[in-house]
Amino acid sequence: MLRLAAACALGRLAGRVSRLLGRGGSALPGLVAEKVDPRLIERLVAPVRRGVVVVTGTNGKTTTTKMLVAMLEAEGLEVVTNPTGSNLARGIAARLIEVASWRGRVDADLAVFEVDEAAVRPLAPRLRPQVLVVTNMARDQLDRFGELATTASHAAAAVRRAAVAVLNADDPLVAGMAAAAGATRFFGSAEPVRQAMPPDSSLYGAASAAAPAIPLDLCLERSDADGEGQVITLVRASGERATARLQVPGPYNGYNAAAAALAAAEFGVPLARAAAALEATRPAFGRGQVIEYRGRRVRLLLVKNPAGLNQVIRLLAALPPGAEILVAINDLDADGRDVSWLWDARVEDLAGGGHRFGTGGIRAYDIALRLKYAGLEAWAETDFGAALERFVGGIPEGETGYLVPTYTAMLRFLELLRPGTSKREAWA
Amino acid sequence: MSDLVIAHLYPYEMNIYGDTGNVIALRRRLEWRGLEARVDPVPVGADYDLSGADIVFGGGGQDRSQLEVADDLQRRRDAVHEAVAAGTVFLTICGTYQLFGRRFLTQEGREIPGIGVFAMDTIGGRRRMIGNVVVVTPWGDLVGFENHSGRTLLDPGQAPLGRVKKGYGNNETRRDEGAVTANCFGTYLHGSLLPKNPGFADELLGRALRRRHGAAADLPPLDDTLEHRAARVAARRP
Repeated sequence: MLRLAAACALGRLAGRVSRLLGRGGSALPGLVAEKVDPRLIERLVAPVRRGVVVVTGTNGKTTTTKMLVAMLEAEGLEVVTNPTGSNLARGIAARLIEVASWRGRVDADLAVFEVDEAAVRPLAPRLRPQVLVVTNMARDQLDRFGELATTASHAAAAVRRAAVAVLNADDPLVAGMAAAAGATRFFGSAEPVRQAMPPDSSLYGAASAAAPAIPLDLCLERSDADGEGQVITLVRASGERATARLQVPGPYNGYNAAAAALAAAEFGVPLARAAAALEATRPAFGRGQVIEYRGRRVRLLLVKNPAGLNQVIRLLAALPPGAEILVAINDLDADGRDVSWLWDARVEDLAGGGHRFGTGGIRAYDIALRLKYAGLEAWAETDFGAALERFVGGIPEGETGYLVPTYTAMLRFLELLRPGTSKREAWA
Repeated sequence: MSDLVIAHLYPYEMNIYGDTGNVIALRRRLEWRGLEARVDPVPVGADYDLSGADIVFGGGGQDRSQLEVADDLQRRRDAVHEAVAAGTVFLTICGTYQLFGRRFLTQEGREIPGIGVFAMDTIGGRRRMIGNVVVVTPWGDLVGFENHSGRTLLDPGQAPLGRVKKGYGNNETRRDEGAVTANCFGTYLHGSLLPKNPGFADELLGRALRRRHGAAADLPPLDDTLEHRAARVAARRP
């Protein structure tokens, strides 16, 4: 107990020093505290009354986590969750220290953590989740993780540690994890929604045969764009249904909402109240978030991999002609150093939409080239300030422009859009 | 009637390193010159006559897919050798390139037989060779991104594609990259390779057009300013 209290105290101190030095600092306290007590996470989550929920997968982790937390908090539950991006052990440790008492006790009903899909295997036995949600499995940053099959096997190993697995029935790699799970709940979508989702392969459409039908516990029956939001209808196996208008656009957010509602049901949240919480959920950091800037609205749509970019492309393709779009690609470690993935996305689907494209980031010319070979013209500007000026200059006053950046490019633009905020929110 | 036929080997099995961009580049660079290409996907198990293709392309994939592809490629062994002898243009990248050698010895000591178009062996290693690459070739400097753990060793008589100026290439020590036999090219470069190396893309197209339509088929130049800018940035990145 003494060791745990010391670990927490030192961790908090490290955080304070780091913030004084202007380094942000959501991960450092965790790093320090785990050195003092390597079983810190296990000890801190043990007293959480109704257990831990882990949300993992390639895309949608952050948004799903945020939606789920909103549903649980609306029920009056005390929930601990990790800030955006801090989804490795040290980020989770840091968050737990922050909320723990001086003796190292966490007073909460539930902990809901987003966990990186490559870190989930070692973390699952430590967190012993009551519920583990897997959103989807797609290729992400091959230079970092190696192979998709390996990543999926890590998630499957984590599923084995959970009392209940909440799985995406429409993603064959995720649905296959049911074999490893104790109790399984499936979310998925109705045929018309599935057809509106783009296949990941770009050149010749999807090759794989339709997956065998899995009985769904929660079905996304409808997911339609509605202005700058998304209207969805969720239906439970019992026939209970609810409709909600999400504040975030994009058909894929319907899946995130379904995953969150199904996980919330494990804690007794009725579907209608989950839907009400969804309507009130604001976009997560960079995931459809809107920033007011010089009388314009800039909507941030973070992209990390071809599957995610395909989802954003689907959203952009539906925008009216004339919409201003800036795609900004960086190639730092956090973005993935290999930009080859741009060629695996269905950029051709944007042709003929009449949108206005600019490109930015360290690899602006690469994405401009990708657009060129899809038959689209785009300006390219590698300087962040200049790119933002040109982009914003193209948005009519009072209108919305769409900024599609990779992770570190987003942080650079946020520094310009809202000086001083990105480090605090996103330090990982 | 298409001016060229491009066969895309294993487009669903070997499709995660952006190599599809090579097919996009070949097709677009023909279209911009008023020519047309037909692209035939050739997945595992497909019945396809390679002698009808002008350019055959195969990219990189995951290890698991590579095993599946290796079996299928054995079935096509004679057809590929005949097509190479007949001067068909081939571009093979990473996983497919490795299988165009004699064999791939995995890290676990397992032998995956290749089809022996290139006189070379590949040996699985522990460390992955990852990063941006610049290769000096007779067709100019090529810029790409490599990501492989296999070390490829060329026989003394096997011509490489070029010499690495930056990055690893075939292996950690010898500084050669890729392999060339007749009109058959092999390389580790993703990126995608051809969009950022338009001179090399046109070299492949020129060879295929000359073979199909005779010497008169010259390619008018295109404005490749953006291509060269992208390549220059990539060449400076780690």
